[in-house]
Amino acid sequence: MKGLKPSAPFLLLLPAIIVLAAVVVVPLILSLYSSFTPFRLTKPETFFVFVGFRNYVAILSNTDFWWAFGRTVLLLTIALNLEMLLGLGLAMLVEKATRGQRLLRTLMMFPMMFSPILVGFQFKFMFNDNIGLVNNALQSLGISQDAIPWLIESHLAFIAISIAEIWSSTAIFAILILAGLLAMPKEPIEAARVDGCTPWQTFRYVTWPFVMPFAYIAMTIRSLDVARAYDIVKIMTDGGPAGRTELLWTLVARTAYSDGRMGAANAMAYFSILLSIAFTVYFFNKLAAARTQIGAEW
Amino acid sequence: MDENSSARLKRRLLGIVYRIGLFLAMLTICLPGLWIVLSSLRPTVEIMAKPPVWIPQQISFDAYVAMFSGIGKGGIPVIEYFRNSLIISVTSTVIAVAIGMAGGYAFARYRFRGKSGVFLGLMLTRTVPGIALSLPLFFLYVRLGIIDTHFGLILAYVALNVPFTIWLIDGFFRQVPKDLAEAAQIDGCTRWQAFWQVEFPLAGPGIASAAIFAFLTCWNEFALASQLTRSVSAKTLPVGLLDYTAEFTIDWRGMCALAVVMIIPALTLTYIVQKHLVGGLTSGAVKG
Repeated sequence: MKGLKPSAPFLLLLPAIIVLAAVVVVPLILSLYSSFTPFRLTKPETFFVFVGFRNYVAILSNTDFWWAFGRTVLLLTIALNLEMLLGLGLAMLVEKATRGQRLLRTLMMFPMMFSPILVGFQFKFMFNDNIGLVNNALQSLGISQDAIPWLIESHLAFIAISIAEIWSSTAIFAILILAGLLAMPKEPIEAARVDGCTPWQTFRYVTWPFVMPFAYIAMTIRSLDVARAYDIVKIMTDGGPAGRTELLWTLVARTAYSDGRMGAANAMAYFSILLSIAFTVYFFNKLAAARTQIGAEW
Repeated sequence: MDENSSARLKRRLLGIVYRIGLFLAMLTICLPGLWIVLSSLRPTVEIMAKPPVWIPQQISFDAYVAMFSGIGKGGIPVIEYFRNSLIISVTSTVIAVAIGMAGGYAFARYRFRGKSGVFLGLMLTRTVPGIALSLPLFFLYVRLGIIDTHFGLILAYVALNVPFTIWLIDGFFRQVPKDLAEAAQIDGCTRWQAFWQVEFPLAGPGIASAAIFAFLTCWNEFALASQLTRSVSAKTLPVGLLDYTAEFTIDWRGMCALAVVMIIPALTLTYIVQKHLVGGLTSGAVKG
């Protein structure tokens, strides 16, 4: 170790870099290449035909693709914002609890243990128009007489998917924001109260700035695997009815594995990768900024 | 006096509203899971009943018996799936944690050029959606002949988990004061000894929770597994769940039972690590 001391961190990081290069970077370069070919699984020789930007042109002029793209962004916007709000609310509810806080915290984490595929299946079961819990409850309570076609009508299906997504991921926000609330020193709040702040002002100008970095950590973690929504949608509607809940990721899977058009699918996949990267970089920068701000104030 | 009692009334009302809110929130969180457990224990007739049967009239373990009784008797090869899931998850977790420890230590203890850039770069490999990554991996694995094998999936899962384990373990090593290792080195330990005898035991619980987190990621992963495996020899539980769906019908009760089998290990493990997990993710958030 002595002679190599300056490069010790490099050596320590080497295994990680090798694995990630082999399993992620190299395959992605390969898929970047194949997005410029008309590659089909059934015709291996097409792998070596170069067609330039034809796949990209075809995708960008395809309305189905743009619908899926827009829907994905819409779903993420709705889901992430509501998860943040609900997570904040839940964290503040649990923080206020005087007894049984440990139990509440454990219950709060409950949805995190569910595999996304299970979440999808579970909500498919609950939103089933015929035997689902939701319709049964609505009918028993006399709110609705008809069986509401939750997963069959396109807007309702989108709502059902959003609910499933929000149910499964609010816990991450709640738990990290709660960690922030618990770590927060009590003096500033008391000082604010003595100085005559209303509860809202105390929250807005004292609590929230302190909790914000924790919320950004949650956002960053969430943005690392936003594509988990694929599992949920795949199970709940599989993009249906008639492609009305198709997201970018289900469209990629369908183009690649059902239609066998690998070249086109890879071109689409690159859009989904860029979308994820944009999300992550954005929140990562926010996180870094929030951290330095807090570091300066406290 | 009047002011006093109205303030007291207001406080009591707020307390009641708070309790109701908390109860409703917890109900929303727990109900879907409980409904699954309940549905797995009741006969299919009751699940399908119209009007709905709310309180189960009889409890039966038929779904579990059928599930484990093998193919042809209404079961699926759940034991094989369970074994595959276990082998793949455990192996890839061990490897990912070993790599993550090296990487996390490098980030926590060394200063080097482009540190935050490297960190962000590692994280970005994690953002690649599983389904997008599965396309080239599928092609490569077919060529290399490792499609539908444990090895192929383990390799993919190691790569999936390394960035996040590095993040977590970095956080746990930061919590161990630097002075301790330095003191050990002054007392004559080599850097290597100082690591294993001082820093590693202190960061141990955190590393264990990073391991469990990695395990759960593998245990729950679907997008990659569904494309890279296709037979009983490598399919994992999340993929096996689809065995209960046919073209137009779904065996709800069977699926519920398998869901319970999948959740129980995840539930137990998450319960064990919850405290450390939060600590690891947020360390450095306050100190900057």
